[in-house]
Amino acid sequence: MAFSNIENSEKLEIINIAIVENETFQHNEILQQAFETLSDKQNEDRLFNTQYTNEEKANQLLQNGEIVGYMTWEEEEPKIIIQSNGINETIFKYVTEEIIQNSEIIKNLAEDEIKKEMITGNYNLDYQEIYQKIVDKTQNQEVTLKDSSNQNLSYTMIEFYTLIAMACLYGATLGMFAINQNLANMSNNGKRIAVAPTKKGKVVLSSALAAFIVQMIGVTLLFLYTIFVLKVDYGTNLPLILLLGIIGSLAGLTMGLAIGTVLKANENLKTGIIISVTMLGCFLSGMMGITMKYIVDKNLPIVNLLNPANMITDGFYSLYYYDTLNRYYFNIISLCIFSISMMLISYISLRRQKYDSI
Amino acid sequence: MKPDAYDSKAQIGVVFQEVAVLEELTVQENIDYFCGLYIKDKKTRKQYVEEAIELVGIEEFRKFYPKQLSGGLLRRLNIACGIAHKPKLIFLDEPTVAVDPQSRNNILDGIQKLREKGATIVYTTHYMEEVEIICDRIIILDKGKVLATGTADELKELAKIEEKVTVEINCLENQYLETIQKMEQVEEVTYHGHTLVVTYRKGKNNLVELMDFFKKEKISYDKIYSQRPTLNDVFLELTGKELRD
Repeated sequence: MAFSNIENSEKLEIINIAIVENETFQHNEILQQAFETLSDKQNEDRLFNTQYTNEEKANQLLQNGEIVGYMTWEEEEPKIIIQSNGINETIFKYVTEEIIQNSEIIKNLAEDEIKKEMITGNYNLDYQEIYQKIVDKTQNQEVTLKDSSNQNLSYTMIEFYTLIAMACLYGATLGMFAINQNLANMSNNGKRIAVAPTKKGKVVLSSALAAFIVQMIGVTLLFLYTIFVLKVDYGTNLPLILLLGIIGSLAGLTMGLAIGTVLKANENLKTGIIISVTMLGCFLSGMMGITMKYIVDKNLPIVNLLNPANMITDGFYSLYYYDTLNRYYFNIISLCIFSISMMLISYISLRRQKYDSI
Repeated sequence: MKPDAYDSKAQIGVVFQEVAVLEELTVQENIDYFCGLYIKDKKTRKQYVEEAIELVGIEEFRKFYPKQLSGGLLRRLNIACGIAHKPKLIFLDEPTVAVDPQSRNNILDGIQKLREKGATIVYTTHYMEEVEIICDRIIILDKGKVLATGTADELKELAKIEEKVTVEINCLENQYLETIQKMEQVEEVTYHGHTLVVTYRKGKNNLVELMDFFKKEKISYDKIYSQRPTLNDVFLELTGKELRD
């Protein structure tokens, strides 16, 4: 695959860290076990190269740049010390927090199991059985999470989906061009149409249809290129992906029609606005980093609900993340509503336009 | 729009100052496309397109694309697109701007043919000689205001000048110029090179009077002729001679 090296370059390097080994750490078996596994030289997915030392030495190693950070203790609570904010530092911090969080879950599960046994009057606890129950629960939880995705969605595929979304939305420029050809203040041909006894809606609709056909040819070529040249495998979802591409193109086209009709500006400014809106939409939907999509979904969900780029990319993701097509169809319907709204805005705006002179 | 507005619009043809054609279509296809906005019947439309092509004289270029045409041919195509549907009222906005004399002649001929066929033509131009040739009624507009209306003769009546006499004369002393200036009805006297121009406010025998004066003073001249004021003179007089935007 053309972009296979992108994913290879994403492989993580082993991160040098230190852990302040004191009494608290020695009593925390989960933490010990976790770091031991993550630092195991036999482990292919080894993440850390861990040094166990005291606070002073750990600090010295950090100052010398030999480690990216170390874990120490503050009132028996683990604390991560790093010197700067980088990818490795973030990974160290994030992984440690995950381990601590999971160890809390295991502790709580163990307490619950013990309480259950004691309530039933069984004071001769079988620790091996309790341990097995906890392991089962945690493993089942893990299995459930994995099963919710019917296929692994790679970083490259996410990039492709956002690029397809962007290509669909750039249909807006064609939509704007189509409407400009029918506006007396935007083109000479528009002047002719303005004085002709033909209903504007009819002329605009035919222009929009022509633009849509051109846009579909463009999107089809894009898909053919990704499939046959870049060897992208869309799997069994190809018809649904194509449907989303078609509806997405319609959304882009109608957005262009609306911008072209509502804005009283020259063609260059309108084009600039369309490019800005499309780029911003794609950015917010995760084109330059999937984290952005989650940040917006979490903090400003309304933005992504109104963002056509997000509707398209979310539709693509949903095909991979969910077993059912509910979310996919939700996005399809959202795009249809968006397209109809844009068409209505264009129609109303077009009907209100009058010219003092042409 | 009111329901009958579409019927009214169908009777109107507009030829815009800027050439408004589709670059992707040939000459014939362009005329057919714009005529199609008015005429739905294919057979009638085909006939109308042929007539429009013939009217503006672009038969040889029907398969050409607009970018292959000269400025004059483009203007003729522009006119054909505007009048192919045989409107009863035609607005022409400076259709002869920046065209060669042959094309201009062809365009003016075409307009006269349209008028002969019964169309009412509203023709906007800055070229007064074209107005004199093709217009029955004239409106002089300046900065959006109507300054004068009427036929060419009626407008000339509005001018302060009645007659302009031009004399080619080798040498004329200042005293004679002063005498001519003092003559009755003389508005202005100019003498540049060997050409004397005497402008009269009123009167019909000004030429004879001037010739008598030369004979009496024994002044010889090569050529003498009289002109009525042109629409250009009227236009300049009504709108002023200062430069416009």
